[in-house]
Amino acid sequence: MRISTLAFANLRRRKGKAVFLIIGIAIGIGTGVALLSLSTSIKEEIGSQLDRFGANIVVVPQSNSLSLDYGGLSVSSVSFDVKQLRTEDAASVLQIPYANRISNISPKLLGAVRVEGREVLLAGVDFDSELVLKRWWQVAGKKPENDQQVLVGYEAARALSLIEPTSSTQPPHVSHGGSHQHDENQFQFKIVRNHLTIADQDHEIAGVISQTGGPEDQMIFGSLGHVQRLLNKPGQLSLIEVSALCKDCPIGDIVSQISEQIPHAKVSAIQQSVRARSETVGRLTRFSAAVSAVVLVIGALMIFTTMTGSVIERTKEIGVLRAIGFRRAHIIKGLLIEVSVIGLLGGLLGWGVGLLASWMALPYFSETRIPFELKPVLGIVAMAAGLIIGSISSFYPIVRASRLDPSEAVRYV
Amino acid sequence: MPFLKIEKVTKVYEANGASPVVRVLSDVDVEIEEAEFVCLMGPSGSGKSTLLTIVGAMNHPTEGRVLVDDIDIYSLSDERRADFRREYLGFVFQQHHLMPYLNALENAMLPLATAEMNTREKRDRAANALARVGLNGKALRLPNQLSGGEQGRLAIARAIINEPPLILADEPTGSLDTKTGAEIMEVFLNLNAQGQTVFMVTHNAENSALAHRIINIVDGRIG
Repeated sequence: MRISTLAFANLRRRKGKAVFLIIGIAIGIGTGVALLSLSTSIKEEIGSQLDRFGANIVVVPQSNSLSLDYGGLSVSSVSFDVKQLRTEDAASVLQIPYANRISNISPKLLGAVRVEGREVLLAGVDFDSELVLKRWWQVAGKKPENDQQVLVGYEAARALSLIEPTSSTQPPHVSHGGSHQHDENQFQFKIVRNHLTIADQDHEIAGVISQTGGPEDQMIFGSLGHVQRLLNKPGQLSLIEVSALCKDCPIGDIVSQISEQIPHAKVSAIQQSVRARSETVGRLTRFSAAVSAVVLVIGALMIFTTMTGSVIERTKEIGVLRAIGFRRAHIIKGLLIEVSVIGLLGGLLGWGVGLLASWMALPYFSETRIPFELKPVLGIVAMAAGLIIGSISSFYPIVRASRLDPSEAVRYV
Repeated sequence: MPFLKIEKVTKVYEANGASPVVRVLSDVDVEIEEAEFVCLMGPSGSGKSTLLTIVGAMNHPTEGRVLVDDIDIYSLSDERRADFRREYLGFVFQQHHLMPYLNALENAMLPLATAEMNTREKRDRAANALARVGLNGKALRLPNQLSGGEQGRLAIARAIINEPPLILADEPTGSLDTKTGAEIMEVFLNLNAQGQTVFMVTHNAENSALAHRIINIVDGRIG
């Protein structure tokens, strides 16, 4: 017989109470595990969605330029020693060590062209990547399918009399397909012309981008190679927009790696996007932590009251043990063994139940079906948490038990 | 030099809420020699059990001191006093206070739970203690499967497993019928015959008549 024998005998004797405590800890730990697993998965999904929703890194040619503006009046900037970006530079972004974090690369060439007597900003883009990057675009029409087809921004289309306002009861004029094609009834305009002359070349209007409030409203978009030829800038780029999947957000590292890869370019993180992501994810993390903490505190209080009750119930027994020569340390050791077993089993059960609950609940919170994962490290953390919560919450009752006056305790009925 | 020396022991319970100050023992002096069998007798509330718990190193006296084998037990630290209880004393409670979830062998073995000794040796010693009190063959029974007398014997087996030089017994026959009480007294007499000092609190005049000496206590004073 050892002190541990007594502890296990006591656990066997009070099976119901031990099971109750194990379930109590398991609920606390399980809630924490479930919330942690859920929030981690949701965080990853939100992060990925935010990352896909627009670029978070922009690459521009490096130049020593001075911004010349005064009181909102912009004067042409002075640029010198400009190093051009090339089409190959866009491909080289994918050669950085963090290439697996890059979800989209959208190279662009910008230039002013005369369109029917007006100066319009023409952008050459890769429509496949551009339309993935600009998920918020609502295009009345379809994605351009050849060099002669263009997309026109709302304001540009209006200025060039390509569209006319329409009431919601009137059917729209055009009927196109495409990935950004929307229910045509939702547009407040109809396309009245299908062709446009840009730089003396006839182009078909594949679609008009609904008003976004952004710079694209004023622009016309054509395929990159075609615009490079129109602007007589073969192989040149004005900027590259990069969308990085920011799990654990090593955005600074990605920026550094692209800078090393394209030394003649200036690479900047779009801080607003990074901050918005980190704030959203941070709020979710804080919420999960707060809910887990509340549940764990409730679990700890439950253990505290149960252990206090258990010690009171065992006052006589503890008094007898003290009377026959058990030291305070022996009493503490025995009770700690009991609490540790309960805490470890509670943590283990909580880990299993929490993982299962999060896996079952995830489809209701997330669009992504994440495969069931055992996460053994989380299991170890859950068991350690069960041990710590059990020990801390029963610390006071255990110390109180060890301080029982044996002569009083054996008279206790 | 007496084996047990109680010197000018006074115990006063301080006022606690509505309870007034209670003087339970006043200037108690007792000396008991080694291998002596002494019974402490007195009416209820005379301070018998309090004196026994003081001798049992469980209840600090307000004044005075207790020496066992020349050790001033209340000069020891709390933990050393626990060691002293384990090594020097065997305490038999009136209500036996057995652990209901342990069998007879395990109950007898309980004081050895903290000892650095292998399990086989512990079991052998427990079996020997059970044999000495006449509980052979009942080692695996739970306390509720034993009669009142057998429970009393088991409580004695637990008290003697460490071969303590001093056995303290608080009315060990108080809850037993006459025949069973006599059996228990027989066990104590045998232990005393083997050289163990016995200090027993009892109400029973027949039992006390078997002791070497009777000490009477009335209103906390030795009469």
